[in-house]
Amino acid sequence: MNKIRWQRYPAGIGLVILATLLGHLVHTFFAPANIIMIYLLSVTVSAVTGGLGPSILVSILGVLAFDFFFVSPFYTFAVDDTQYIFTFSVLLLVGITISYLTSRIRRQTEIARLREKQTAALYALGRDLVASNNLAAYIKAIAKRIEESTGFNVMILLPEYERAASLKVYSADNRDISREEMAVATRSLQEKCKIRINHNLPVVGARLYLPLMTARGGVGVMVLCSNTRTPEPNPMLDHLIGAYTDLVAVAIEGIQMAEEIRDAQLVKATEKLQNALLNAISHDLRTPLVSIIGTLSSLQEESMQLDPDTKHNLVQVAREEADRLNHLISNLLDESRLKAGVLCLNRQPSEIQDLVGAALEQLKPAILQRTVLIDIPDSTPFIRIDFGLIVQVLVNIVENAVKYSPPNSPVEIQAYNADNGVKIEITDRGIGVPEQDLEHIFDRFYRIKHPENVAGTGLGLSISRDIIELHGGHIKAVRSPAGGTQIIIELPVDGLNGSAGKHEFEKQ
Amino acid sequence: MKNNNILVVDDESSIRKFLRMTLSSQGYAVIECCCGRDAISKTIEDKPELIILDLGLPDIDGIEVTRLIREWSRVPIIILSVRGAESSKIQALDAGADDYLTKPFNVGELLARLRAALRRVERTADDPIFISGHLKVDLTKRLVTVNGTETGLTPNEYELLRILIKNGGKVLTRRYLLREVWGPEYGDEFHMLHVNISNLRRKIESDPARPQLIITEPGVGYRLRTGE
Repeated sequence: MNKIRWQRYPAGIGLVILATLLGHLVHTFFAPANIIMIYLLSVTVSAVTGGLGPSILVSILGVLAFDFFFVSPFYTFAVDDTQYIFTFSVLLLVGITISYLTSRIRRQTEIARLREKQTAALYALGRDLVASNNLAAYIKAIAKRIEESTGFNVMILLPEYERAASLKVYSADNRDISREEMAVATRSLQEKCKIRINHNLPVVGARLYLPLMTARGGVGVMVLCSNTRTPEPNPMLDHLIGAYTDLVAVAIEGIQMAEEIRDAQLVKATEKLQNALLNAISHDLRTPLVSIIGTLSSLQEESMQLDPDTKHNLVQVAREEADRLNHLISNLLDESRLKAGVLCLNRQPSEIQDLVGAALEQLKPAILQRTVLIDIPDSTPFIRIDFGLIVQVLVNIVENAVKYSPPNSPVEIQAYNADNGVKIEITDRGIGVPEQDLEHIFDRFYRIKHPENVAGTGLGLSISRDIIELHGGHIKAVRSPAGGTQIIIELPVDGLNGSAGKHEFEKQ
Repeated sequence: MKNNNILVVDDESSIRKFLRMTLSSQGYAVIECCCGRDAISKTIEDKPELIILDLGLPDIDGIEVTRLIREWSRVPIIILSVRGAESSKIQALDAGADDYLTKPFNVGELLARLRAALRRVERTADDPIFISGHLKVDLTKRLVTVNGTETGLTPNEYELLRILIKNGGKVLTRRYLLREVWGPEYGDEFHMLHVNISNLRRKIESDPARPQLIITEPGVGYRLRTGE
């Protein structure tokens, strides 16, 4: 900018020389008054193209040149006729007046053009706001727009949601912020003041920190970064930046408010789900306690004359209920661990036979009365799984099979190779799951309506599905051809001898 | 029955009370304490023949207590804890615990493990013949018979079986088994161990899918069920 402005002065001198040459060509035919007109023309041209300074220079040089070349005695600044003093004064005055007026018009045109640019930029910013309701995306869009129209790199710093003390950086180019810059930004927001600073190390350059203020207070800080040391003060730019600051502040507040409303709605929905969960769980936790406490209190009651058979049966029922309670609590713990994402798989090459054996060992009391038919060929490959978790899945499913099928009916467990994996099928001879329920039995808290007398939270199957899917496998329920339900688990073999598993072994 | 001293360490008085009643009824003499420091001093003073130890103690963690006791004593330690994670079982067993039961536990199971642990101590000279159900192993002649028929085991399978028998009833971690059978440089080749266990089961179990002798402790290791 500066360089261009200085070049206008030589251009002005050029104009005067040109006018003099032109005057020289015509002065034999024209009166000196007309030659004055040529100089006035050059003043006007200079004012339009060069601004106030150069055109005043042209006015003064023009008067001097006119005196020197065209007023007798020629080629000196001396004047014979004193009338010319008056001519010179008027010429100078007219020249300066033309310069001033023209340059004012010029400035006003420039301002109008800038205003138009500003309005267009602000309008675009507003349009971005309407188009996006995501804070991060919008801030990036704003930063880019401001960079385009002002030439500054822009960072916008907003207080973090949970920890208001620290600021999160948003920028178009994901730039990092230094600790020093962060400190100044924090101060700017706290004291609600504009800060203009030249940073030295580790960042070099000028920074302008602008607190983003709305009626609710400061929502953040906008930082304009320039790599040159001091940007030249420019009232027009300051005006534009001021307009941006206000617009960005209001826009960010609007988006934050929308997000707060959305969060509040989410919290409400979660609460509702939590309540349903709590109801289901408290029901299922209490139910086994009914028979446990009942049995114990009747054993304690001396007036009750219980015969050994009744006593035995009571204790048996209480024992089963206690086991169920224990199992339910394990499932709940597993589930909360799954949901919290703290459950990480400890994959080990495992044998299906071993897996089934371990599950049946855990199920001993539940399947005491049942025949379990096992068909697992020796050729079934080892699969890389979290042994404990898959045992838990099998326990859940076999327990379900036992629960939903008549006493003394057999439960079948089959395993075989499937493409790139192993399939395990658990089949019961129960009443079967109604067709419309098959898809939903793995949903949380889903229980089939019909067998009212069977207890359970419906947690076991949903956890089982989560565990199987965590392993990259699938689980589904179908109606078995012989009646009853068949659960099919498909697990990938997953690079059994591959080196990928090596480091996982070492975790232990 | 011999009047064994058993030290019960648990900070829950209801569990101590329950264990005292159960164990007393079986003829054991019970000493109780509720924290790790007491457990160590009582182990020195009263010389219990077995310790039942909780992990979540108010002062020193049970795993640390096990490690401290193991520095100078070989008294059997059975861990009784609500911590069911495989990693804490492995930690406790590696620290020197003999066995690990998760609360809530089955009294029958606890008594069986307890008897097995005491038996391992009492067995001064190694009994050359091991019999469990249909399996008979003559350790001097390296002879394994199932239902009276001799079964050929590979050297590694036999070694695995021998170590399981020597630690009858005790949970052995996979890493321990690998190092004992294959040598100290092994410890992570779980796959090799699983294959050998699987082959061994096919040779000595009547139904390999429902093993009655070599019991898998999911994610931890294996245990040979003895006599009970």
